[in-house]
Amino acid sequence: MATPTVPKAAPTAAEKPPSPGKPKLSKRRRREALSFYLFISPWMIGFLVFLLGPMIASVYYSLTDWDSFNPPKWVGFQNYVTALTDDPVFWKALWNTFYYAAISVPLGLVIGLWLANLLNKQVRARKLFRTLIYLPTLIPLVATAMIFRMVLAPNGPINDFLGLFGLSGPNWLFDGPWVKPALILMSAWGAGAATVLLLAAMKGIPRELYEAAEVDGASATRQFWSITLPHLTPIIFFNLIMGLINAFQIFSQVYILIPKGKNPAGYDAAQTMVPLLFDQAFSYYRMGYASAISWLLFLVIMVFTVIAFRTTRRWVFYETEVK
Amino acid sequence: MATLATPVRKRGHEERPAKGRAPAVRAFRATPFTYGTLLIVAAILTTPLVFVGSIALSGDATVNNGAFTIIPREFHWDNFARVFGTELPVGTFLLNSVLISLFSVAGQVLSSGLVGYAFARLRAPGKNTMFLIVIATMMIPTQITMIPQFILFRDLGWVNTFLPLIVPNFFSNAFNVFLVRQFVSRLPSELDEAAMMDGLGFFGIYRRIMFPMLRPVLIAIGIFTLTHTWGDFMGPLIYLNDESKMPLALGVQYITATSQAGQAPPWNLVMVGSILLALPMILVYYLGQKYLYEMDISGGSAGVK
Repeated sequence: MATPTVPKAAPTAAEKPPSPGKPKLSKRRRREALSFYLFISPWMIGFLVFLLGPMIASVYYSLTDWDSFNPPKWVGFQNYVTALTDDPVFWKALWNTFYYAAISVPLGLVIGLWLANLLNKQVRARKLFRTLIYLPTLIPLVATAMIFRMVLAPNGPINDFLGLFGLSGPNWLFDGPWVKPALILMSAWGAGAATVLLLAAMKGIPRELYEAAEVDGASATRQFWSITLPHLTPIIFFNLIMGLINAFQIFSQVYILIPKGKNPAGYDAAQTMVPLLFDQAFSYYRMGYASAISWLLFLVIMVFTVIAFRTTRRWVFYETEVK
Repeated sequence: MATLATPVRKRGHEERPAKGRAPAVRAFRATPFTYGTLLIVAAILTTPLVFVGSIALSGDATVNNGAFTIIPREFHWDNFARVFGTELPVGTFLLNSVLISLFSVAGQVLSSGLVGYAFARLRAPGKNTMFLIVIATMMIPTQITMIPQFILFRDLGWVNTFLPLIVPNFFSNAFNVFLVRQFVSRLPSELDEAAMMDGLGFFGIYRRIMFPMLRPVLIAIGIFTLTHTWGDFMGPLIYLNDESKMPLALGVQYITATSQAGQAPPWNLVMVGSILLALPMILVYYLGQKYLYEMDISGGSAGVK
């Protein structure tokens, strides 16, 4: 990349070739720089007003006791200490979020991979199957949550299906131990989002590799484990990181599936980080405490992302490394 | 790799499959088991959707005793008209959704194009540092800024208006800026140089030459923004209180949350609302997918197909 002060050879016909070592920007260059700052001003203003400013404010709020109406009261790290040592709901929410992420993310990846592998075969009506698998991801989360409130009802399709085997299904959303599995079930319904990316990546694997494996007598299963899977690890890693970040930020599903007040047992079992943060801020107006929770959530996401990155050298396979 | 050499040696031998037919590599062969699994998966994935349709077509009596069936038994098509009538303000919800989404899309398309173009083409001191900041901001979770932004908009008196949901979109989103920059970088720079010789200023070049060429990436940005605002639940939940201001994503939930005690929410009408919420997104994806693939931001490689 050319640094701004290094003149590029003959940019326009009108301009005289600049003398070497010229310290100042030419008039044309100044005008270009000015235009640049003018053009990016929407981003610049947005960055300062909606991101940097709020982030600094958030750090400050997190160190105060503030109901957003009266003046904030400085309390130092008290909010963080309270969350970590004196608030059982915080740990409960953290555990629930972790539980949800730890099961739903790998499950979604396995289902996505498995479906992509099926669709990568020479299947008739592949387009139809592909559309059906992708369809759930096109439905807004709110609508999906409304749908699953009905699907998971005591007399809904899932329990009807279990009834076929003589099992009586639980009252998913109202029965403590079944609430998290219900949320995971709902997330699995949308696993098709990963399928599309994985399928695209599978198409890019050179076919010769499979032909060679075939000659060597490798079975289809063996070919999947030895050729397909290693080639997909970069995409799997990408999905893992995005999945983790999304899972830790789960909100709408919890808020809609388990209405507060109407369902205490379910609410307790499903309380995750963002709904907790939302409640603290907008139901109890504990803005300082909620800000502290938002930074703790950020920290947790960072830790898991870093751990995931740390492990990549062991299992993520980049083609360029083989050269 | 030793295995790689094998097929090269095999080339030209009589074992090669007949021309025009795909070689029957075992990994790609579809067995009856493949079809069986796919059919079961398809059934599982479609059941909730069929069930939604069935509820949407149910009569009020069925709603009250909760005796829904997966396969519809009654067909109250008038439910689709009823939600636009006086019973539920779904028409208002829909209009609010359309207004918020349209302005948000316009804001992102107008601002991201301009900013992305500048980052790709114009030279200025400090540009690279600023672009690094753009990239870095993509990693900051929205929860961190949620509370201060709420305070800001409340102090501006914007609570219970569409402004907090629309205005930030006019200040471009980092990911969209990145997309545009990648796209512009791959367009030939002779285009702008020729325009410059014709005496066009930078804004003229952008408006007359670049903006039309950015069509695929701007349409993609429009689709992303639309999907995001259309389905957004937390934003409206924070900022909107009046039923008459709510977008569909919030309104549908609001109906169930406020149904009178001891009475079932009007599930048939709620499901009609959910269908109305989902249909535009399916349509947008169907019409827009070619632009999403055309955009090709992968930098020279074949891109997603």
